[in-house]
Amino acid sequence: MGSDVLIFLVLYYVVVVGIGFWAVRKGGANNLEGYLLGGRQVGPLVTAMTLQATSMSGYMFLGGGSAGFTTGYWSIFYASGDIGGGVVNLSIIGRRMRKLSKILGSLTSIEYLEHRYPHPATRLIAGSLSVFFLFFYILAQFIAGGKGMALVTGLPYWAALAFAVGIIMIYTFLGGYFAVAYTDFFQSIVMLIGMVWISIVTLNAVGGFTAANNAIAQIDPTYLSIWGKDLAHKGAWPDILGAVLIFSVGYMGWPHVVTRHMAMKSPRTARMAGVYSTIWNIFFVTAPYMLGIFAIILLPNLADPEIAIFTLAGELLPGAVTGIVMAAIMAAIMSTADSILLQVGTIASRDIYQRFIHPKADDKAMVLVSRILILVIGIIGFIIAVVKPPGVFSIVIFTTSVLGSAFLPAYVCAVWWKKANTPGAISSMVGGALSAYLAEITSFVLPPMVAGVLISFILMIVVSLATQKSHPVPAYILKAMDLTAEVGPIPKGILTSAEFDLSPEAMAVRRKLDKDK
Amino acid sequence: MFGLPGMTAAVLFGFPIFWIVYTIIFFVKSKDWPEDVETEEKGGTSNG
Repeated sequence: MGSDVLIFLVLYYVVVVGIGFWAVRKGGANNLEGYLLGGRQVGPLVTAMTLQATSMSGYMFLGGGSAGFTTGYWSIFYASGDIGGGVVNLSIIGRRMRKLSKILGSLTSIEYLEHRYPHPATRLIAGSLSVFFLFFYILAQFIAGGKGMALVTGLPYWAALAFAVGIIMIYTFLGGYFAVAYTDFFQSIVMLIGMVWISIVTLNAVGGFTAANNAIAQIDPTYLSIWGKDLAHKGAWPDILGAVLIFSVGYMGWPHVVTRHMAMKSPRTARMAGVYSTIWNIFFVTAPYMLGIFAIILLPNLADPEIAIFTLAGELLPGAVTGIVMAAIMAAIMSTADSILLQVGTIASRDIYQRFIHPKADDKAMVLVSRILILVIGIIGFIIAVVKPPGVFSIVIFTTSVLGSAFLPAYVCAVWWKKANTPGAISSMVGGALSAYLAEITSFVLPPMVAGVLISFILMIVVSLATQKSHPVPAYILKAMDLTAEVGPIPKGILTSAEFDLSPEAMAVRRKLDKDK
Repeated sequence: MFGLPGMTAAVLFGFPIFWIVYTIIFFVKSKDWPEDVETEEKGGTSNG
């Protein structure tokens, strides 16, 4: 792999950035609120695609492929839950969160939690947990980008990693706020084309589905078992529950994913977005795991399972097509990293720095805080990724478990349970995160996701009920929840009280556009 | 089926079928959601 792949990579970035600039010009200075939320005018198809593109990338192409290659059909449990992740998210909290966030005047998913569970501690804890654990998700993208770039360019891993991290940082600083939801949509289409192509070619190379499974059975029949290679998970129903739940319900606890609900054009958008999400996921989510499984036959001497899909693309596709597929994968990885980095920067500057340390901080100061944090993350992430890189699959599973455990009850109960109060939310966030973390490091009998979500929900319910008298849910929030439950326009006067505030990055973009006019 | 053990085939095909059914049910039950637009007029009353 070499120059033709690099050419397509560059071309791809030109198109993506071009779409970003087009979106900016189309929206103009009057639509900058959209950048904080990825576009307050996002329709159902783009919502579904950006929801999926945000949550898939390095994990799918490296982690999913690796899981399939190393464990066989056991990995399908992760895909099985993931297929429903979008529609579950949209059907349970999509419409209501869109509506409640608008009524409460929230512009970030962390701010939304404080508005719903009013107390500074809510924002501090939610913001801190998000920043800390999203760092690991960013780390996974760095490693994925480094490995992919090493394969594409032929550079040694450390150099390719430096290159990938460098591009991500530049992309974030310069292009971040121009990477609107439309670029996610475009990337989703390109990823779809790439995955369809490589899937068809791979299926052909293995002689069809049945022939492939027969060939795998000859190598080791336990790959075909739902208990996984060597029947490692035989009878481990908690493990299966954890694998299915992690991406089916876990997504409802990802602050950077649920923020997409707030960006929908309208609360009703969630309906069609849910349908599009399922149609997309049935193929796209399953494909990387299946490609990893087929790689057992085609790449028996593969040293690093995480590059199974990259290697399949390189060996099976013609040069130009390889370039397109690799470009799509690399760009997807980098744009996810960029998107999460921006979220982390925004949380740190708005939800922590401005909220608690320097309330009068202007947008310049907050941009500086955001960028300093992004730089620090970049440096620390690079060092870890070079010295002792964890597996992409394991790190994403860990991060999802902890974030899901911390935030799932908070986001779900925010719109469904009127008794969910601030002490309940805070204890569920802290207890859930801690439980998942402890379950991970102690190899507890229950998987981290199962243990964490269980503890988190129990704490939400018990503590909320125990503190109803001392910490009742404010009347205005109960009224807002009633309006959220109703299907219909928000009555006049309710929205006028919402405060409007752009993120520091969006303000900087606005100033630039005003100057350029 | 397709050279797979029965349980594996059940998982591989069963979950997508389950999610398709879930999505259909969701789509049907949310049929009044198109009324949930963002305007500032007084609105409807059904619960979703």
